[in-house]
Amino acid sequence: MRFLYLVLTALTLGILAGHFLEPNFGNAYEVMLYVLIFLIGVDLGLNFESGEIKKLGREALTLPMKTLAGSLFGGLAASLVLGINPKWGLAIGAGCGWYSLTGPLIAQYSAVYGAVGFLGNLFREIFTILLYPIASKRTDPKKAVSMGGATTMDTTLPIIRKFGGREVALVAFVHGFILTALVPFVVPLMLSL
Amino acid sequence: MNIFIPLIAGIVAGYVMRKAGRRFKIDLPVSASLLAMVFFLGVKTGEVHVSGLWLFGSSLLFAIFTIAGSLLLAGVGR
Repeated sequence: MRFLYLVLTALTLGILAGHFLEPNFGNAYEVMLYVLIFLIGVDLGLNFESGEIKKLGREALTLPMKTLAGSLFGGLAASLVLGINPKWGLAIGAGCGWYSLTGPLIAQYSAVYGAVGFLGNLFREIFTILLYPIASKRTDPKKAVSMGGATTMDTTLPIIRKFGGREVALVAFVHGFILTALVPFVVPLMLSL
Repeated sequence: MNIFIPLIAGIVAGYVMRKAGRRFKIDLPVSASLLAMVFFLGVKTGEVHVSGLWLFGSSLLFAIFTIAGSLLLAGVGR
């Protein structure tokens, strides 16, 4: 729990610094992400047993489909609450947390909904970082992976590894990998409705 | 950069260390770099100047509803 407070503090300090100081850190975010992914790879290389792949089972393949369907459903519900065209809600939901792709794709059709697509999916990533540690304790840590959507193969993988363990990290990677392959097709499909 | 490059490099490095019989505790470096990454994510978020309350509120609503939808269909709580 103490680490979660540190995460919250780091996030708050970052937001304040970004908002008021606008420091130019270049691609420091990406560099740290690659360092983390490398360290996760080292952990896998040190401890991975091939039998673990078999243990992942069918759920590792069906979970991404449930995540995508639930995300589309959530996007549709949000659009109905806000009274906007369901097409935008479905497209934003189809992003599954991949804000850097969803925002620009939707912005080709509408700048406002592009901004909502960007921010909404960015918030999803931030909420996953903040809430996965709690969700993994109170529910099945494998099923809780679905909250991260497509981000579970990269940006939210370290927090999932830390709080869910190595076996859940494997599920998360497969989950994120499948969704990352699907999202670039599903978002334009929803926009074409 | 493709995400697979550092991942595969790490797996190879870890495998080589295992074969060489060397252990490496990754918890501390993972925690430190995770905090740094979250800080830089915050900086990126803070740099986005939201032009209206509606934009902010609707983005929050989408984030909450899409997470809830995914968790619901994944069967969390069942």
